[in-house]
Amino acid sequence: MGEKEKKLRFDTKLIHGGTSPGPSGATKTPIVQASAFAYDTAEELEDIFRGRAVGQVYTRIGNPTVDTLEKRLAAIEDGIAAVVTSSGMAAITTAVMAVVRSGDEVLSSSSLFGGTYSLFHDTLANFGIETRFVDPVDLAAVEAGISEKTRLIFVETIGNPKMDVPDIAAFAAIAKKHGIPLMVDATVSTPYLARSKELGADIIVHSTSKYINGTANSIGGAIIDAGSFNWQNAKFPHFEQFYRKYRSFAFTARVRKLIHKDFGACAAPLNSFLLGEGLETLALRMERHCSNALQVARFLQAHEKVAWVNYPGLNDSPFHEVAKRQFNGRFGGLLTFGLADRAAAFRVINNLRLAKNLANIGDTKTLVIHPASTICADYTPEVKALMGVSEEQVRVSVGIEDIEDILEDFAAALEKA
Amino acid sequence: MNLTVNGKPASIAEENPVPVSQLLELLRVEQREYVTVELNGDILDRGDFDGATVKDGDNVEFLYFMGGGR
Repeated sequence: MGEKEKKLRFDTKLIHGGTSPGPSGATKTPIVQASAFAYDTAEELEDIFRGRAVGQVYTRIGNPTVDTLEKRLAAIEDGIAAVVTSSGMAAITTAVMAVVRSGDEVLSSSSLFGGTYSLFHDTLANFGIETRFVDPVDLAAVEAGISEKTRLIFVETIGNPKMDVPDIAAFAAIAKKHGIPLMVDATVSTPYLARSKELGADIIVHSTSKYINGTANSIGGAIIDAGSFNWQNAKFPHFEQFYRKYRSFAFTARVRKLIHKDFGACAAPLNSFLLGEGLETLALRMERHCSNALQVARFLQAHEKVAWVNYPGLNDSPFHEVAKRQFNGRFGGLLTFGLADRAAAFRVINNLRLAKNLANIGDTKTLVIHPASTICADYTPEVKALMGVSEEQVRVSVGIEDIEDILEDFAAALEKA
Repeated sequence: MNLTVNGKPASIAEENPVPVSQLLELLRVEQREYVTVELNGDILDRGDFDGATVKDGDNVEFLYFMGGGR
């Protein structure tokens, strides 16, 4: 990214950042739906494989459409480079596996998306990587959880579905003090709310399937390298060869030339095009998601059949102040609320007409789900409690429809509950 | 001056030493925001691109982490 581009403001960067006019002059990223790329001479291909020249070889490794999305995401997160993947879970798995090795430990917030919890608790444990889970709000516990073996700190900017808001700058200070990189999952806050690099994140991951895509037409993930962590560090001897050759790009080089290449969770060109289309309207959509969500939260809080509402935008939320400071006065589009019991939660979901009952967030449409019986059904009551999941709870991803229609839908469903 | 760039002979009109950042422009090196520069066998920090200079006879390698293999 050129110096001129770095000075662009955020909403402008969503549209222009990381883009460059191609030879055709097309104002849209061409979809290069090809598996492999041919060269005239053996020498040219040799140079690319040796890293002496830039060029596409094979879409698992790189593709022009995918490459454009990577540059755009790096630009909007103020990162030095990005790698996009086939899904958000692929991004987390790839990024984490690039940092840690068997015998290492991850220190993670216990307030996690179910898939991430499963990755840490089950899958990585099977490969000799242990995760210590801590309450992200208890900073003393976070620091106490760091051991000699800790090589990564992981936290979600807004816990899904717990809706807690950790103090990311405080996490970053702890990570820095111990010489460990901080990886944040900023899917729920989006880059529009959370300037993750400014808050101190070294690596930022996203499920781009959610708000970045915005209309639920593609699955994708992204890993953004903030370029802030010094990988020439005795704790990371496995980065030595990458640091020696690529210096500040050591992390991205290890991701791209080893883990991403070997695991093969590459992004599809068409999905990358569609994700880039969504990116352009992120700011506009987030403004509406945030304002609609605040109104839904206030409506639910005032309703006699609603036992509780978790939304950091509510003044009485314990996370209101940190969220306000961290997200520049915005609070996101996701909330949870509680009914009398599980049966009442089911009745509300069954009586909603506009809101869709499905396992996703960040769509233009309002979405609901009963987490305890679906996305978190596999976990024990103790783990569910840790993740902020309860039987009477409904999660709402508030869409960008007319607020009156959303409120009328919830009012009617609650009346029948 | 005459240089060896990525194993091949190359020449630029400048006779006096030039900063690496200027060399990147003179040679129209692709994707300058991502390139790693190796000067006479030493990898340069990106922060040194303005300070480090290239002189006649130097060996320069431009390297990328985006390529095909390791």
